[in-house]
Amino acid sequence: MTNDASTGGLARTGRHGRAGSHSRPTQMTTQLQALPTLEVDEAPMHLGSPVITFDHVTKVYPAQPNKPALNDVSLQIYAGEFLFLVGHSGSGKSTFIRLLTREIKPTSGKIYVADEDLSTMKNWRVPYLRRNIGCVFQDFKLLPNKTVYENVAFALQVIGKNKHVIKTQVPEVLRLVGLADKLNKYPDQLSGGEQQRVSIARAIVNRPPLLICDEPTGNLDPQTSRGIMDLLERINRTGTTVLIATHDREMVDNMRRRVIALDRGRLMRDQDRGVYGSDV
Amino acid sequence: MCTVPMSSLFYFFKESLQGFTRNLSTALGSIVTIFLSLLIIGVFMVGGVMVENMISSVEEEVSITAYVADTADQESIDSLMADIRAIDGVASVGFTTKEQALEQFSQTASADIIESLDGVNPLPASIDVELTDPQVVEQIAAQIESNATFRAICDNPDDPAESLKYGQETVGKLFQLTKYVRYIAVALIGLLVFIALVFINNTIRLAIMARRKEIAIMRLVGASNGFIRGPFLMEGALHAIIGAGLAVGALQLLRMYAMPRIASALPFITIDVPGDAYLMIFAILFGSGLILGLLGSAFAMRRYLKV
Repeated sequence: MTNDASTGGLARTGRHGRAGSHSRPTQMTTQLQALPTLEVDEAPMHLGSPVITFDHVTKVYPAQPNKPALNDVSLQIYAGEFLFLVGHSGSGKSTFIRLLTREIKPTSGKIYVADEDLSTMKNWRVPYLRRNIGCVFQDFKLLPNKTVYENVAFALQVIGKNKHVIKTQVPEVLRLVGLADKLNKYPDQLSGGEQQRVSIARAIVNRPPLLICDEPTGNLDPQTSRGIMDLLERINRTGTTVLIATHDREMVDNMRRRVIALDRGRLMRDQDRGVYGSDV
Repeated sequence: MCTVPMSSLFYFFKESLQGFTRNLSTALGSIVTIFLSLLIIGVFMVGGVMVENMISSVEEEVSITAYVADTADQESIDSLMADIRAIDGVASVGFTTKEQALEQFSQTASADIIESLDGVNPLPASIDVELTDPQVVEQIAAQIESNATFRAICDNPDDPAESLKYGQETVGKLFQLTKYVRYIAVALIGLLVFIALVFINNTIRLAIMARRKEIAIMRLVGASNGFIRGPFLMEGALHAIIGAGLAVGALQLLRMYAMPRIASALPFITIDVPGDAYLMIFAILFGSGLILGLLGSAFAMRRYLKV
């Protein structure tokens, strides 16, 4: 029964790869089966204008004027995509993500998120940009003195959502990530994988169209990582664009999704159904 | 653009109370410095109102007193009084004999002093001139001073001006005094305000440090700048309001218990501060305290809270 549901899900996934249909090798884990199945209708195709556009983006940090962190990077990301950003430490992955959330501005070039130019965006609008981008980090960034529920609720609270919205959305998203029974636990009472699920729940509780994950499985063992990746895929199936910066060669090779490879700030490869590769 | 809903205000309040318990000693430090600076400002303001009242009551006294020598004969006194009566702006002219002067003095002075006089009356007789307009008091005084009869019969023939007393002189002396007091007050208040700002700045800095992680997450999930700053502004304002409340309370205690004592210790000057002036001063203290608190936390946020 679970197999049927999974296969259905897979068939749908196949339709919104960037270059059309492809099928992923079946490697469902028990963890995914344990999750409640999310019913989604047609996942959106990436027709029309891209969600994210990098237009000859260069970023030079003042500390290293001769070594640009990103060097003339141009690419486009469409709604509903699931893609990996790979490269060594210092290749520019973090800079790429910090540019997207407008923590930093590009030295030259333009970045558009949902048709909005980040380089001319007013500072006071930045928080509203970030409400549309969920972020997940290697170190989870959970508040140790708040419970799982409070950690997720906090994200809604601080953007001024009312109690009613919080009371309905938080349990829902925690059920989605499979933590419905751990609402009142504190982060230090959870395993690493569970903590990362809380952090994912917090990132998507406001239903952002874009989810950025910076080394989401960097601190986790392969088995747990697999579970996290499955969760991210399921989130992608709801129409959320998912961008994952990672070192995890095996995972990238297994998933066969779009891969963007950076090396010393340059865009080396942008490949559909790509692999981690030896060039990075 | 940074409109903050009502429910957020409760959140800010809760958070700022938390900050209060987190850094109790620094919070107390900033409250006490605000309290002290506002109290001193308040005391100086009450004193200022007192002096102001004193000056205006002296200024309102539109009378000139011309002291005449004991040896003066009734005829010259009468002619001088007639001369003065003829001056423009003089409302009425009266005469106070030595005996009347003593009687008036004995009403305000203590019995000891009257006793020590031993029956001798040192007070001169005087002509009391009431004026219609306080503005012309100096001109009329000058006219009386230049009057030949007055020069002849005045109490102190060597310096006729000394025998003329009118409010303006006292006013001049009071102004001299208040000028110095004002300088000292401004310097002191400036220093205290600076100290209070430093204290608030430090308290808010610690509060920001303590909430580093939360702030990072708030920025991450897109909390507006107003929302991130709100609790800290609220905390600064809260300290200031508590400090101002204490200062107002202390001032009210002084008004109830210390003022009557001062009044009885200084019987010769009237220190009467109207209730309205007190209300006004209390309002000003609250207002300036609030500005102090908000300013202190704003400084801290500019330096330590990049949003």
